[in-house]
Amino acid sequence: MTILNVILDGLFAAIAGIGFGAISDPPLRAFKMIAILSALGHACRYCLMHFLGFDIATASLFGAIVIGFGSMWLGKKVYCPLTVLYIPALLPMIPGKFAYNMVFSLLMSLQTVKEPGMLNKYMEAFFSNTLVTCTVVFMLAIGATLPILLFPKITFSITRHKNKF
Amino acid sequence: MTTDDSFNSVCDFIAEYAAHLMGVGVHTSRVVRNSKRIGEAFGVEVQMCAFYNNIMISITDDETHECYNKVVGISSHSISFEHNSELSALSWEIYDYHLPLSTIKEKYRTIVQAPRIHPLFVLLLVGFANASFCRLFEGDGISMAIVFSATMIGLYLKQQMFAKHINSFIVFIVSAFVASLAASISLIFKDTTSSTAIATSVLYLVPGVPLINGMIDIVEGHVLIGFSRLTEAALLIMCIAIGLSFTLIMVKNSLI
Repeated sequence: MTILNVILDGLFAAIAGIGFGAISDPPLRAFKMIAILSALGHACRYCLMHFLGFDIATASLFGAIVIGFGSMWLGKKVYCPLTVLYIPALLPMIPGKFAYNMVFSLLMSLQTVKEPGMLNKYMEAFFSNTLVTCTVVFMLAIGATLPILLFPKITFSITRHKNKF
Repeated sequence: MTTDDSFNSVCDFIAEYAAHLMGVGVHTSRVVRNSKRIGEAFGVEVQMCAFYNNIMISITDDETHECYNKVVGISSHSISFEHNSELSALSWEIYDYHLPLSTIKEKYRTIVQAPRIHPLFVLLLVGFANASFCRLFEGDGISMAIVFSATMIGLYLKQQMFAKHINSFIVFIVSAFVASLAASISLIFKDTTSSTAIATSVLYLVPGVPLINGMIDIVEGHVLIGFSRLTEAALLIMCIAIGLSFTLIMVKNSLI
């Protein structure tokens, strides 16, 4: 059952990655790689959070690192820049539920300004959800960009067909 | 110059190439590198300074020291990863095989004019993507089906409004509002994860490309344009929040 959950998590993340990729018109050869990366990254985050007790921000960072390095490896095979593969692959990890709660609690705080008890409750919810959303998005961007910072030469020549190395 | 083509025509091509890449959502250092690479193949030195709406480009002939300066406007095309990949590969091809300018221009036109993925196919894929996203947030089957249709409606509206060149902030607010309103139909079903459905119905709008490109630009030293891109992303996210808020104000009593 546990393995099935991880596989299902990866599968749905792959479908999400392909769909979000399609909005930005990627080359057709990139779709397969985007699916693999989305599945790997999201399943990695799922495992870290459910089996090792990681918090969502740290788990997202590791998921994004997996996607970043994976896109360096797979990008070379299909001659696609890293960003083409990892931006759609990262999108399924966007903390949508926290972002929604952020908007909802902000709205409710404004609606309950005259009721201190309720106001405190919603402001607390707003703060914690904003914190999680912003941190996770920041971690995703940093994690996936790491290969560009660490191996600039490899990532810059990833679309080169003539192999000179 | 290492070619028989005129200095001005080579420079004009490099300027057009760089502006197009910036317009389709490529991070700045890649645009600078690709342009310099093409310049190197022709024996000219390219220096450029990129802003959100313009690029200032200065090209010097290595032999004659003739100089070309131009400020090129960046027209906002829709984001295309295909142009990013193919035009980057073209820059390496020019560098490795020293192609003549006429061949390069022909290849460039072929890439730029290639048809995009069919909008209906995109609609379908994004619908499935958002439904899967709903499942990732532990949404049930009914929510997934509702999110699928809500996303299709919202994205169709977005595509139509973009085709009519309506202001992108308005497009984002309206699309987010319509998609979340359509998803709020889930409230009539009891025991379904309606808040998850409403939350995920707008996520197809998240501006991932300017967000990530902005971060990359900042860490690579192109701080000004990096912040410009992040500002754009932040404004678009705010627009999504505004659109979502309209729906939430209407249905909040059912959600509490």
